[in-house]
Amino acid sequence: MVSRLALSRLAPVLNVARSSASAAARRNIRPARSYATSSDGEQHSMTVRDALNVAMEEEMLRDETVFILGEEVARYNGAYKVTKGLMDKFGEKRVVDTPITEMGFAGIAVGAALQGLRPICEFMTFNFAMQAIDQIVNSAGKTYYMSGGNVPCPVVFRGPNGAAAGVGAQHSQDYAAWYGSVPGLKVVSPWSAEDCKGLLKAAIRDPNPVVFLENEMMYGISFPMSAEAMSDNFLLPIGKCKVEREGTDVTLVGHSKMVGHCMEAAEALAKEGIKAEVINLRSIRPLDIDTIIKSVKKTNRLVIVEGGWPGFGVGSEICAQIVESEAFDYLDAPVERVTGADVPTPYATVLENLSFPDTPVIVKVAKRALYRTN
Amino acid sequence: MIRPSNSLLARAPVVLRRSFSTGIPRRNDHLPTTNSPIITKLDFFNSVTGNDTQIPTYRLLDGVGKPLDGAQLPEIDEAFAHRLYSNMQLLPTLDNVLYNVQRQGKISFYMTAHGEEATIVGSAAALDMQDEVLGQYREMGVLLWRGFTLDSVMAQCFGNEEDTSGKGRQMPVHFGSPEHHFHTISSPLATQIPQAAGVAYALRRSPTRRSKNIAACFFGEGAASEGDFHAGLMLASTIPSPALFIARNNGFAISTPSTEQYNGDGIASRGPGYGIDTLRVDGNDVLAVISAIREARKRCLEQGRAVLVEAMTYRVGHHSTSDDSFAYRARSEVEDRKRIDNPITRFRLFMESRGWWNNDAETELKARLKADVMKAFKRAETMKRAELGELFTDVYGGQEPWNIKEQRQELSRLVKKYGTIWEPWQKELSKFRNNGQDLMK
Repeated sequence: MVSRLALSRLAPVLNVARSSASAAARRNIRPARSYATSSDGEQHSMTVRDALNVAMEEEMLRDETVFILGEEVARYNGAYKVTKGLMDKFGEKRVVDTPITEMGFAGIAVGAALQGLRPICEFMTFNFAMQAIDQIVNSAGKTYYMSGGNVPCPVVFRGPNGAAAGVGAQHSQDYAAWYGSVPGLKVVSPWSAEDCKGLLKAAIRDPNPVVFLENEMMYGISFPMSAEAMSDNFLLPIGKCKVEREGTDVTLVGHSKMVGHCMEAAEALAKEGIKAEVINLRSIRPLDIDTIIKSVKKTNRLVIVEGGWPGFGVGSEICAQIVESEAFDYLDAPVERVTGADVPTPYATVLENLSFPDTPVIVKVAKRALYRTN
Repeated sequence: MIRPSNSLLARAPVVLRRSFSTGIPRRNDHLPTTNSPIITKLDFFNSVTGNDTQIPTYRLLDGVGKPLDGAQLPEIDEAFAHRLYSNMQLLPTLDNVLYNVQRQGKISFYMTAHGEEATIVGSAAALDMQDEVLGQYREMGVLLWRGFTLDSVMAQCFGNEEDTSGKGRQMPVHFGSPEHHFHTISSPLATQIPQAAGVAYALRRSPTRRSKNIAACFFGEGAASEGDFHAGLMLASTIPSPALFIARNNGFAISTPSTEQYNGDGIASRGPGYGIDTLRVDGNDVLAVISAIREARKRCLEQGRAVLVEAMTYRVGHHSTSDDSFAYRARSEVEDRKRIDNPITRFRLFMESRGWWNNDAETELKARLKADVMKAFKRAETMKRAELGELFTDVYGGQEPWNIKEQRQELSRLVKKYGTIWEPWQKELSKFRNNGQDLMK
């Protein structure tokens, strides 16, 4: 185990560096899940980590061809414990530890998918997946088209994406826009536990390659789960967003961790009598622009929030599609983008905190869109 | 070979003894994490053979097709020999026609296999028809061996409506055919190498194909410099799977000679580094290739592990139609190799020595192959492209996303508006099957 730890590169450091809140949440990993026997009316909740774990477990039970591979996903239970217990349940043939080479095990995943299996390829973080981006974009994303529809590639690439905390420029970036620009790929960026469960299950069943962007800071966060979401057949459609909170005055669109900030901002705005509508994107590609258009036609104001950089980003794309659509005529203010700062992410806590959107800045920009300065 | 999992257990007592020992470690002691013997001499090494010689090359026939002393020829009969030979002759026949077709501007690109016929056809002949093949781009001979027709070859190169490889979406020679267990060629170099490890892993997981089929992966010595090569071999070795890696060492990676591609002993020297059984074979000796690949395949299946074969050959043709190799090598060098180390001639001489071949048969074969190829070429040349609407299919499987639908609707709107009244569009639409009618509905 000592050598395994030594091989795990930055993951143990990341674990320590994380805020104490999420570390505490991790200690609460359920001894046994209770959803199967729960009675009606009981309020369920689940961490994002557990929702991902349950999604994979259920799909592996349902379909023999589903298997997981990646660095330390099996015996070590995953660098972030997302695959905890799966090796014990399904054995080393279906939960496969690999050496440290992203281009290698992403290639294995693609090859296995081309040959009829349904691999779930875990990257310790998407920052490391850049080594494997050729396999993801050129092989997984294009083979179905290039083979004239002969050879599908049903693979899920998943792992934490976006800024974490205190891990510097090379471990803090958001790849939603990168993968979101590639036809042939589907790209999902969930926020809540319900999102994670329903979308990961849908991603595993999807006949296409799906890039599933998780967020390290969210793993330990608990969310309420509906009875429906607890069922083992709970699927959410890829390509549809969710209106998390209805409102009439301004539309806040976000994905992943930023949805939480948007919800907090909406709450703060409500205290000032502003009714913000919050849209959780869920999918980056295909992008559910219709729901956003509908919302903008109602609120006449749009603020897009993301943890990525501003240039050529998810917000830029949504802004472009909105001004190209009939919603343009309904806008009463310029579209606003709230994004990460356009610099490589700094390490020092004060600088890092300044580099990403938080709730107060979203509130401020939403008010600016409403021409309110106070 | 070092196997860390069981060797650790076996060494446990040694470790204990060493840690309490105060004397000089004995020669047979080991470090705790390896089986490496302890020595007291500074002994650098740079050879996998252990005696500073190069890895030997397995060969059965000499340059004039005569069996070497002690050579054990694979069992082949006259009919099989004829099949091998006609497949080897088909490649240059097809290559000459398609090379010139490209030069006339009728197709955008082509790659010949001149000089590598024995490596490609010999490997194809030694594999099972159901073994999954992942090629680099120069392995059309494997498909032809498996019954892929000349019409299918032409359809792919012209990208016409009969193209079963990819509906006209890929560059020439990027073949693919699930029916022939041949994976779609991908342009970025070496991506097929780790994928082969994944295909082999999937075969091992399949109850119907486990212990029956392997994944055979072709690549050049240039591709072996890509990180994918190292990642692929390491993974095929650490996640054991029946993958056979066949390196076609043809001397050139486009213009870079293999002497500049590596400073070590070829590609074969890397196999033992990954704990993989390895063989170097004379790739211009088709019988040696057959024996080597048959035995390699057997090892893959019996051990459930990867095997590496380095086939030494020579790229007589240019890299592709985008290359003029006489800018970096002498024409005389190529002519010499064609004369003294010609894989086709070598096998013909062998067949003649057995009384299986003569000049009449040679003349008849060449005329027949040429006629077949020209017939397929002429048929393909005038064929239409796939339906215009196919531009948008197969981006995604399952339900089609709105962005694909929207693009099709946009094109459909334009084709309806101008397709029947504007002459340049009418002319363009006539190149597609059904003249674009599928979008005018």
